[in-house]
Amino acid sequence: MADVRLKGLSKTFNKRLAVDDLSLDIRHGEFFVLLGPTGAGKTTTLRLIAGLERPDKGSVSIGGRDVTHSEPAERDCAFVFQQYSLYPHLTVYDNLAFPLKSPLRRLSKEDIDVRVREVAETVHISHKLDSKATQLSGGEMQRVGIGRALVRRPNIYLMDEPLSSLDARLRSDLRLELKRIQQDTGATLLYVTHDQIEAMTMASRIGILENGRLVQCGTPREIYENPASVYVATRLGTPRINLLPAGVIPAGSEPTGTSVIGVRTEHVVLGDPSSSASKARIGKVERLGDQTFLHVDVEGHKLVLLADPHVALEADRAVGLSLRAPLFFAADGARIHAGQEARQ
Amino acid sequence: MTEASTTSRPGLVEQVIRRHPDPVSVRFRGLSDRTIAWLFISPTIVLLLAINLFPLLWTVYLSFTNYRANRPNAELRGMGTTYYEQILSDPDVWESMQATAHFVIATIAIETVLGFAIAYLIDRKFRGHAFWTTVILIPMMLPPAVVGNFWKFLYQPQNGLFNAIVAPVLGVSPGSFQMLGDVQLAPWSIIIVDVWMWTPYVVLICLAGLRSIPDYLYEAAEVDRASPLRQFWSVTLPMALPFIMLAVLFRGIENFKMFDLVNLLTSGGPGSTTEVASITLKRAAFESWRTGYASALAVILFVTVFGLANIYVKALNRVKQR
Ligand SMILES: Nc1ncnc2c1ncn2[C@@H]1O[C@H](COP(=O)(O)OP(=O)(O)O)[C@@H](O)[C@H]1O
Ligand SMILES: [Mg+2]
Repeated sequence: MADVRLKGLSKTFNKRLAVDDLSLDIRHGEFFVLLGPTGAGKTTTLRLIAGLERPDKGSVSIGGRDVTHSEPAERDCAFVFQQYSLYPHLTVYDNLAFPLKSPLRRLSKEDIDVRVREVAETVHISHKLDSKATQLSGGEMQRVGIGRALVRRPNIYLMDEPLSSLDARLRSDLRLELKRIQQDTGATLLYVTHDQIEAMTMASRIGILENGRLVQCGTPREIYENPASVYVATRLGTPRINLLPAGVIPAGSEPTGTSVIGVRTEHVVLGDPSSSASKARIGKVERLGDQTFLHVDVEGHKLVLLADPHVALEADRAVGLSLRAPLFFAADGARIHAGQEARQ
Repeated sequence: MTEASTTSRPGLVEQVIRRHPDPVSVRFRGLSDRTIAWLFISPTIVLLLAINLFPLLWTVYLSFTNYRANRPNAELRGMGTTYYEQILSDPDVWESMQATAHFVIATIAIETVLGFAIAYLIDRKFRGHAFWTTVILIPMMLPPAVVGNFWKFLYQPQNGLFNAIVAPVLGVSPGSFQMLGDVQLAPWSIIIVDVWMWTPYVVLICLAGLRSIPDYLYEAAEVDRASPLRQFWSVTLPMALPFIMLAVLFRGIENFKMFDLVNLLTSGGPGSTTEVASITLKRAAFESWRTGYASALAVILFVTVFGLANIYVKALNRVKQR
């Protein structure tokens, strides 16, 4: 295991910047999650680290060694691809054993067997060891793909949205499992996803990607509570953060230059219509089973909030609404902290 | 139509009907959809039967008679299995079968190895790669008659290009050997021409196979630290194998029936060294005019090819399912 350092990494495809001046330090033993929507450059970043793409600019070093121009084999990264990339003519067993049979490793047959069965157990695929890769369902293929990475002890595990094709139940199982494996083995892991729940539950640190640029980096808590921009704020939290134009609801000490106010459930106090700052009306109450979303109309704007499951709520009722320390953003989307001027 | 026949596995006609839920029979009163579908495909079926099945059955019929095509009005006598017995106990026929087998095995082996190697090389992107692909395919596009005469010319001992090029390599004089006239060399002269003409075909099929291998498999193998050699053995070859086997099948069937090149180049000579089965057949049918006998030989050849091809296709399917 080793730490990975990216410095000023850029990659252009047909004049389109896929990764833009990306610098990032992934520490030894860290579970780092890169979060961004489709097309943000997540896959490209991983491929640059693995050596499957060459950067136009910048450098990659693994374990202190500059590997910018090294072949993938020299970098010793394990990669879980976004699409299933199993060897279709091999059985599940042989797919899992494939990386171990590398002559660089010189493992005995017995060692390989022990390792393969152990990993098959971990990704719940033991019962399919003798099946051909082509006879598996999508979820099973992806589990084998994860297993094929886990059999190794590489410098770093690179995982490209490995859980996105699995059903919800398996996804949450494997989330926990991956986190546990990473903690037990102290592995360095770079995990890429567009799913905020995966990011929040597994990451030691999260990096937010926007159009190939790393816009913020920090622990899940830091990023959630202290987003650097509107873009970052909208990445995390369900329901999504509500964005209101400044001045619609009195927000106490609005810094000058505030253009947008970000409101999450915890920034809102609902109360008596007479004693609150604004008058609001509860619209729809959306029950999703485990969560209840409250649609609140205030001054012609709509807020979606998370409701307390223990409080009975009726639709179409007048309530009072006031804000408590919401997030302030300038016109360009940058965050302004209370008591601070907008950057000009 | 009964309930049972609609729920059992649908035949072609049922499938056609199901794709068109709007019944045609509304406009053709009195005819069921099934009848109409049959009407539509019947011309094709009749044509196929007339072209494929009828000659085959007619040949089988003739093989049991003493029919001679140059005496169509002679009295026809049933011969039973006489010709079959004659053929199977005739050492000359066995010899021509052996010549055929040698020819088939040698050409397949060389064409497959060479064809795959060339395909592997031109599969990489390099400058002018489309141009070279086209150049390589030219021999295959020429008519066999042209190829035959062209090579006959090349093989001329005194002024042929082939001898002129090969002789210095071997350190002998160009006139000292005759490709087509020598008992040892004649089979090879035909093999060379067949390889020259049909390797491109194998290249084409192998190229299709290589192009069908997705890039991500190579990428996965690369991060799994497989050497280029291991990538070849564990990704390239197994993935392309069904295609290679298909090429072998096509070339095998073709060369089992090989006639035109041999006929043009050596006509089975010198002696009977290059007399493959199809030449024997032609001699019996159009030189001795023993049509019944030739039909029996044709039936035997057909059964042989058909049987071998079937065994082979089973193997091919097993490889594909792996
Ligand atoms: N091989 C490629 N050729 C051309 N464009 C590419 C290629 N790979 C990625 N891109 C482009 O780069 C951008 C980032 O892609 P990608 O890294 O796959 O994003 P993500 O994985 O976050 O969805 C996209 O706009 C994509 O179209
Ligand atoms: Mg991607």
